[in-house]
Amino acid sequence: MPNNSLVILLLLLPILGFVIEAFLGKQIVKSSGESGKRLLGAVAVLVVVGSFAAAVKLAIDLAGNDPSMRSQMVTLAPWINLAGLKVPFEFLIDPLSITMALIVTGVGALIHLYATGYMVKDKDYSRFFTYMNLFIFSMLVLVTAGNLVVMFIGWEGVGLCSYLLIGFWYSDHANAKAANKAFIVTRIGDVGFMLGIFMLFTLIIGQVGSGASDGRTLSFDNLIDTLPGVMHSHPSVAVIIALLFFLAAVGKSAQFPLYFWLPDAMAGPTPVSALIHAATMVTSGVFLLNRLYLIYEAAPIAAAVVTIIGAFTAIFAALIAFSQTDIKKVLAYSTVSQVGYMFVACGAGGFSAGIFHLATHAFFKALLFLGAGAVIHSMAHNQDMRNYGKLAKYLPITAITMFIAFLAISGIPFFAGYYSKEAIFSASVGGSFAKIGSVNFGQIAGYVAIFTAFLTAIYMARLTWLTFFGREERWRLIEPHHDSVQLAGALPECVSYSDDPNGWYKAIEPESNATEPEHTLDKDHEPHEVGASMWIPMVILAVLSVVGGYALDAGRLEAWLYPVAPSSVPKLAEVPWVTPVGIAAAVLGALVGGFYYWKGLPANEGWNMSKWNPLRIFALNQFGFNSIVSDGSSEAGKEIGAALNVGVDKGIIEGILGGLALCSTGIGDLLKKLQSGYARSYALLMLAGAVVLTVWIAVVGYRGGF
Amino acid sequence: MNGVPLGGYLLLGLLMFAIGVLGVVLRRSPVVIFMCIELMLNAANLTFLSFARYLPSLRSDDPAMLSRQAVSGEMMVIFVMAIAAAEVAVGLGIIMAIFRLRDKVDVDDLNVLRG
Repeated sequence: MPNNSLVILLLLLPILGFVIEAFLGKQIVKSSGESGKRLLGAVAVLVVVGSFAAAVKLAIDLAGNDPSMRSQMVTLAPWINLAGLKVPFEFLIDPLSITMALIVTGVGALIHLYATGYMVKDKDYSRFFTYMNLFIFSMLVLVTAGNLVVMFIGWEGVGLCSYLLIGFWYSDHANAKAANKAFIVTRIGDVGFMLGIFMLFTLIIGQVGSGASDGRTLSFDNLIDTLPGVMHSHPSVAVIIALLFFLAAVGKSAQFPLYFWLPDAMAGPTPVSALIHAATMVTSGVFLLNRLYLIYEAAPIAAAVVTIIGAFTAIFAALIAFSQTDIKKVLAYSTVSQVGYMFVACGAGGFSAGIFHLATHAFFKALLFLGAGAVIHSMAHNQDMRNYGKLAKYLPITAITMFIAFLAISGIPFFAGYYSKEAIFSASVGGSFAKIGSVNFGQIAGYVAIFTAFLTAIYMARLTWLTFFGREERWRLIEPHHDSVQLAGALPECVSYSDDPNGWYKAIEPESNATEPEHTLDKDHEPHEVGASMWIPMVILAVLSVVGGYALDAGRLEAWLYPVAPSSVPKLAEVPWVTPVGIAAAVLGALVGGFYYWKGLPANEGWNMSKWNPLRIFALNQFGFNSIVSDGSSEAGKEIGAALNVGVDKGIIEGILGGLALCSTGIGDLLKKLQSGYARSYALLMLAGAVVLTVWIAVVGYRGGF
Repeated sequence: MNGVPLGGYLLLGLLMFAIGVLGVVLRRSPVVIFMCIELMLNAANLTFLSFARYLPSLRSDDPAMLSRQAVSGEMMVIFVMAIAAAEVAVGLGIIMAIFRLRDKVDVDDLNVLRG
């Protein structure tokens, strides 16, 4: 049995850190300054490390069990207790949840450690770690939840923390708007999650009569028994439920129609981008699909949608990545693209391949973000790659670790990404899970994914060479540029953040310096390697990016996650050409990219945007998609609002209220005639009243009515 | 009742009250209106007193209760007089203030509360 206290420890340590940071943080920083910050940082890191230790112990205990006994439910407290539905606070400890918990706490601890160095100058140090610890807690609730409702709590919790951390430097209007955008767009997916739960519940109740015998209809241990039967008897409903949960995954994991919040989310501090918007939260959609794989087994149409959306997102985001000059934006689109890979795998039936890529991606993408953070840190917070170049000379550790991450994400053999990408390619090209009629959508997605691997290697080489190599130290050659100014002249930004007509986003404390300390980059700038608290996590992640793939290896991970292979997933066909073609795509891409950017920044990607290839500008505009959806929806919302204002508000509501007001005015006009102001007329009225009263008393009294 | 029957007192009270009411309704000088109000109050007083005088002469199983009620009628008169005095004091004060303000006192001019 899993130790209950271990589960409590796993969940409660981050919340303990959260409480300490939230309630004591400000006082400690105020009273003891730098050493107080060091103490708070240590607390924040240690609680996550403690949580990681608990997860490791749970994993070891679990591995010691027989494979069929590796799924255990731990109930901590009752919660919803109705006759037909019981939803306790219960947590499912099984290989999938514990794998996710290890990634969350392990990578989370490293990023916390990094952040203690990265954020050290920030005024709101304790607030940052308050949110970070709360995020770790929410994410752990999400991955270890034992039923869909508790999972939804975690799902919303990570959304909240994401919002708070994107808008961490809230006094900048753009950051506040980016936070709002992320929150609102992911909310669309959350509606899908809720509707999915409702439909699933209704369907099971309708099918089985009363749901599970102990009332815990929505708990995963019961769902495993009930789902296959229910789903196979209602295939069309299964497709709808599967698509609703996929909508939730699309929102959270930034897949195609709802991807555009993620690049804006880069407004948050870089450790946040690494933890939330690369390694953990954005991959929770993949986790959700794995948790509910039984639904997708019964709904091949939904699986085909998943894999096609994943493939389209992968190539779409990879193309946009070519147009980005902001180092973090490149990584953001790369994240969208890589999460697309995971959906390709899940939709094609390779659920464990999806989790495999999730794990390796957590290593190398977190490393890439941390490296980008180190570069930004040492380059006076300038994020534009056109100002970089030849940084390997100044930042050796960062350059080496990021180069390893580049090799890993490109899928160069024997680095982590190679193994997980191979698993995805063979699962999608060789599988026939998402086959509808004669069209094997998984196979199509697989081809797209292989081509995207080629693109990935090129744009990652572009990032690496523009940043670390080349012949010029470009910040010395040209006047410092600020991309906002440049963009405003050459090309309209899709979303204009500068206006604040209503003053809604103004900071509450105008004196708070709630931005990253800004000092401009100039000719005399000398970049310095970052401190130990920042490079140690990067080195550890670099080691994981090298050995992580081999250590987890697809077969081993699959045996661990799915000891009993999903019954309806057809056996993979052996496609011998997949591995060599995958390797060729990666190596060729890396070579092409490396040679193309060998000398540094090509003229047609420089500051003068009029020299840019029109296609690249088209990609920079996200192929018009962001402006259609984002601006389109806000414009349409404005139109609808205006129509409602005129029709409903002015017409109906104000009509009713105005009518009532007119009514009372009329009555008042009538009544005011009585108020003549002549005292004698009042006296006469009183007399008349007295006479009437007297007569009435006399008459009634005479009749003996009293 | 010393030969004058109860009805005579009541008739006098009624007459005084009617004169008072007509005065309040018809006259425009506040001083006269005040006098008429006094007349009405005193009509009520007269009625109270005549009943108080009349009650003990009734035959009853409980004569003590009747005389207690008679005393309460007389007490009521004292109250009315006290209240009338207070009212006059306040009312005359108001009339004086209005007179100083306007040099003329006519209740029909005091219609600022018209709706």
